[in-house]
Amino acid sequence: MKTADRLDLTDRRLLEKAQNSFPLTVHPWRSIGKELGISEREVITRLNRLSKQGFIRKIGPALEAGQTDFRASTLVAMKVHEGRIQNVAKMIGEHRGVTHCYQREHEYNLWFTIAARNQAALKRTLEAIRHAAGVTKDEMLNLPSIRTFKIDVRFRLS
Amino acid sequence: MDDLDREILYAVQDGIPLITEPFSAIATHLGLTPHEVVERLKRLREEKIIRKFGLFVRKSKVGVVANAMVVWSVPRERLRDVAEFFSEFEEVTHCYERRTTPKWRYNLYTMVHGRKRKTVQEFVEGLAKRAELEDYEILFSVREFVRRSTRLS
Repeated sequence: MKTADRLDLTDRRLLEKAQNSFPLTVHPWRSIGKELGISEREVITRLNRLSKQGFIRKIGPALEAGQTDFRASTLVAMKVHEGRIQNVAKMIGEHRGVTHCYQREHEYNLWFTIAARNQAALKRTLEAIRHAAGVTKDEMLNLPSIRTFKIDVRFRLS
Repeated sequence: MDDLDREILYAVQDGIPLITEPFSAIATHLGLTPHEVVERLKRLREEKIIRKFGLFVRKSKVGVVANAMVVWSVPRERLRDVAEFFSEFEEVTHCYERRTTPKWRYNLYTMVHGRKRKTVQEFVEGLAKRAELEDYEILFSVREFVRRSTRLS
């Protein structure tokens, strides 16, 4: 909460504009500036600062997972002993296809999403992870998605 | 998607630089004009290879610190309607149907974000009531270990 207080109104409008309707043009910062009534230079300066302060994860594309070389993906849940969770999470993060890994408040306390080139590779990787984590088949859930109804990650800032 | 498209996506997938013409370097490298690069990116967005192009905020920094995955057990015949109803809310950023297992009966998943745990909890209770669902669990996230973008290869 405190960190967000450091954002002034222009910062908030800038983040929202670039989040919700980024202009794909040769001079995107100029276009954004025009809409907000500030100069291109100011847009760049502010975004640089916001980036340094950690408010920005990335300015670029989110790729549709099924369209990349990693066509097989799933969500996995595991029951990991509390004291080992950090090490297990670190091991999981070392796999390139892992995009999210969270500890959650549940009996299944470690959750991650993983993608691989094909189902066979995905299966092999999951087995390798399961062994390295020291969990039994019963302590692991493999929950591939069947249908996506919504992905729209944006946050209100102003 | 052709080879040039792939080269462009490689170049921009981790983010574009904060300079006046962020697409110029990759354009020069590929023998294209910056305008051609932009047109290709737009087409990739239309073709849904790019799901979104823009700025991604670090949610914890802007006060969104209560994040929950809610798992629901929804009767098959109601799944579509319920999922579409949940998807209308801006607090719900993701909504998926997932495979069940004998040990795990939940078939619908929503990610819900908010500034306070209590707000998220009440929001989810409201959803449950309106959708007339009783079999669900809220799994708040405790710690983020990995959060990275989907990469091209």
